[in-house]
Amino acid sequence: MSVRVEGVSKRFGAVQALADVSLEVRDAEMVALLGPSGCGKTTLLRMIAGLELPDAGRVVIDEAEVTRVPARRRNTGMVFQSYALFPNLTVRDNIGFPLEVRGRPAPDVRARTDELLELLQLTAQGDRYPNQLSGGQQQRAALGRALAPSPAVLLLDEPLSALDALVRSTLRDEIRRVQQQLRITALYVTHDQSEAMAIADRVAVMQHGRIEQIAAPSELYDRPATRFAATFVGSRNAAELAVVDGRVRLGSAFEVTVPAGTTRAVAFFRPEDVELVREGPPIGDSSGSSGVSSGPAAGQPATIEVRLFLGATTRFDLATEVDGGIARLSADIPTRDAAGLDVGARVRFRVAPGLVQVFPVEPGGGA
Amino acid sequence: MLLAPALQLIWGSLVRDGSPTLANWVDVLTSPRHQREIVGTLLLAGVSASVATLIGTPIALLVGRMPAVRRSGWLALLNVAANIGGIGLGFALVATIGSVGMVTLALRGLGVPWTPPPVDSFEGLVLGFAYTNVPLFVILTLPAFGILRDDWAEAARVSAASRTQYWRRIGLPILAPFLGAGWLLIFTWSIGIYSLAYALAGTGGVQRVSLMTLRIGTTIQSDVFSTWRADVLAVILLAFALVALWSYRLLLRRGARWFR
Amino acid sequence: MSAVWRLARPLVQAGTAAYLLLPILAIVLFSLATRWTSSILPSGYTLDHWTAAFGDPRLVAAFARSIGLALGAAVLDAVLVVPAVYWSRVRNPRIRTVLQVSAAIPFALPYLVIAFGILTLYGGNPITAQLNNTLPELLLAHTAICFPFMYWAVDAAMSAAGIERLAEAAETCGASPAQTIRRVIVPNILPGLVSGGILVFATSFGEFAVVQVLIGGSFETVPLWQADALYSTNPRFDELAASAVATFGLLFVLSAIVVAADRRWAARFRRGGVTAAPPIVETGAAIAESPTQIADSPT
Repeated sequence: MSVRVEGVSKRFGAVQALADVSLEVRDAEMVALLGPSGCGKTTLLRMIAGLELPDAGRVVIDEAEVTRVPARRRNTGMVFQSYALFPNLTVRDNIGFPLEVRGRPAPDVRARTDELLELLQLTAQGDRYPNQLSGGQQQRAALGRALAPSPAVLLLDEPLSALDALVRSTLRDEIRRVQQQLRITALYVTHDQSEAMAIADRVAVMQHGRIEQIAAPSELYDRPATRFAATFVGSRNAAELAVVDGRVRLGSAFEVTVPAGTTRAVAFFRPEDVELVREGPPIGDSSGSSGVSSGPAAGQPATIEVRLFLGATTRFDLATEVDGGIARLSADIPTRDAAGLDVGARVRFRVAPGLVQVFPVEPGGGA
Repeated sequence: MLLAPALQLIWGSLVRDGSPTLANWVDVLTSPRHQREIVGTLLLAGVSASVATLIGTPIALLVGRMPAVRRSGWLALLNVAANIGGIGLGFALVATIGSVGMVTLALRGLGVPWTPPPVDSFEGLVLGFAYTNVPLFVILTLPAFGILRDDWAEAARVSAASRTQYWRRIGLPILAPFLGAGWLLIFTWSIGIYSLAYALAGTGGVQRVSLMTLRIGTTIQSDVFSTWRADVLAVILLAFALVALWSYRLLLRRGARWFR
Repeated sequence: MSAVWRLARPLVQAGTAAYLLLPILAIVLFSLATRWTSSILPSGYTLDHWTAAFGDPRLVAAFARSIGLALGAAVLDAVLVVPAVYWSRVRNPRIRTVLQVSAAIPFALPYLVIAFGILTLYGGNPITAQLNNTLPELLLAHTAICFPFMYWAVDAAMSAAGIERLAEAAETCGASPAQTIRRVIVPNILPGLVSGGILVFATSFGEFAVVQVLIGGSFETVPLWQADALYSTNPRFDELAASAVATFGLLFVLSAIVVAADRRWAARFRRGGVTAAPPIVETGAAIAESPTQIADSPT
């Protein structure tokens, strides 16, 4: 079963929450809506649930237009950010609630809730009230309630944001497992890019009520289509540079061509793509596969300002002098190659031109 | 300042002419006049609290969902009404629904064959008590309505529940203990109302409604030789109030059990 | 279905407004009416009753007494409650139970019963009996019965302002308890203090039973004057109406101040998440207690 929105717009007073958004979620696919708060992602989700009416456009669930159909006749399942579990009902009754109000016979309700309790590993907590559960258990109960009526689409509104980091990644995987096991069409709202990347088949990056890019996580990561997508996805170094002869360069670290007619451009490159070159003789057995090489003075000179141990990699914050100003950037180096690179040390760095994304900067700013 | 007088009353109710006795209690409890007053007080308070709950609940629901500015206006109005009391209100009610009150005259002028009940009748007192009790109930329970979260209603909608189903299964069960607690507070408040009752029902002459507070008032002022009557009645009032307040705490704890 | 709901809303609002406003309207008209016996509206209007009422030195004196008594109770309550609640929150939580019980008593006990209890309590002993029928006794009694309104308002304000942390911060800055209360606590709970004080004022101002029982005619307050105007052999209905309208007007202004103070306060201390309706008034805090806690702790 698929879900489609076509050209929907929504305005709250002076705020344009959604501006002509179209999106299709294919059968059994999980799409993540990713963006900063206020970008319209939750509004879009609520519109599909029927909790908001669009000012313009259509909502289609399973090839039937439901734009004006009230929420309670849409057959969606929704997990709220706050879970919104009914406090006066047990876990079992919460999960059974959508079936009960649909008038299903009691034995059927019982069978289905048992099945979901089992699937979500909540069997032991079935007769507890929501306030007697841990955050993760509440989250699973909310998922169970959303899944109970076998909805055409599962809508998840920042379902993990209230949990601590450890539980969050476990539950993220669990949601994905259940979604794939049940082959259910799902839409997942989050502002956490790593969560979106991990869980979704495709990620839609949203800003100012528009979808900036929709793509598979790997494509989004490697080839962000807009400046905003590049800023928002992955941790990136950004440098705004003047265009000279159709090219931008960061000292002698890299030089790339830009589309004709651009006067200023912003260049993005990832910390793990920054290659450090030691000044002086090579230390240790560093080959080209690592982030550190040594040899003739190639690349842009810089000073190490901060050294952060991140586990498998070590992050170096570098300061470099470009065009008379100081630019700062981060470089991630495998920790085993980072020996001897201390704060204050002089290094050179470079970035392969193919790993640099450049977006023109319009005079008024923006992408 | 507060506890000692209560103990003094209990003591006073057990003493007559300087010697301890239970005769005060026996006399009061077997007297048909005092029995009427006790029943009258309980009945009036019960009916008043029920009226306040039935009318106040939808109003509280409505006011609670208003945008801030409009809500402030309503709260100011409710605040005034809840705080108006006593003689002034009694007189205002006489001027409204008394035999030559504004509403009475209006109804007569329009040819409606119905006149408001006399203000000193049971129905009149219920109507009068409701004037302060309904706003008081709204103000008291309004914070409790804040526990109803919007996303529960939305979750119910997404779950395919109708509005009626939502209220029956979720909204009312969650609110019920708090509404019950509000009822008890109004009940407690109503059994102790004196000045408004005094203004509406008066003290002298033929009283249509017998109330314990009115009896205590007249006893203190005119019957100095048998203040033990007032003592006993006051202790009974005190007992009612304590039981009601204790149940109130119990109910609140019950209401909060899903939220701890 | 939903049409019924949509229709119900304005109907309930209009009905409530009419119900609350009609008696006020009636008494305003009454105070301005020349003669009003058979028609829907008075046959003529005059300010005579107002000039008569406020030209009567007895009523003016009653207003002065009521205002003075109410102010006294409000100030006394503020002076007693702020340090007590501060202490109970910052130093000794066990006082809290005592305070809460004391705050519950005046609500549970009819004022009439309290007054009667005080009267017999002091009357039983020749020394304390001298206190009976005196102004200090009345003032103390009003301070006691109005205590809960101040207590709930101040307690809620302190809770909203997070007074425990403020007190700790002040202490690490080297402030003495008195300095902490004056410089840190009071400014932060001012709206609560104001609304509490106004509620105490309003309650004391309109209180009838305690005044009647404890002191009677020798200290005639506005409610006593009104009762007399209603029941004396020569009733003064017109002046009574004028005095009642004046009282309502005073109440309305005070209520408006409470609501305004509350709104400013709510705006200042607004926190994320579920915002429960602010416990606007007095006893509201009694029920508000648990819901506020609910709203604060994420479920």
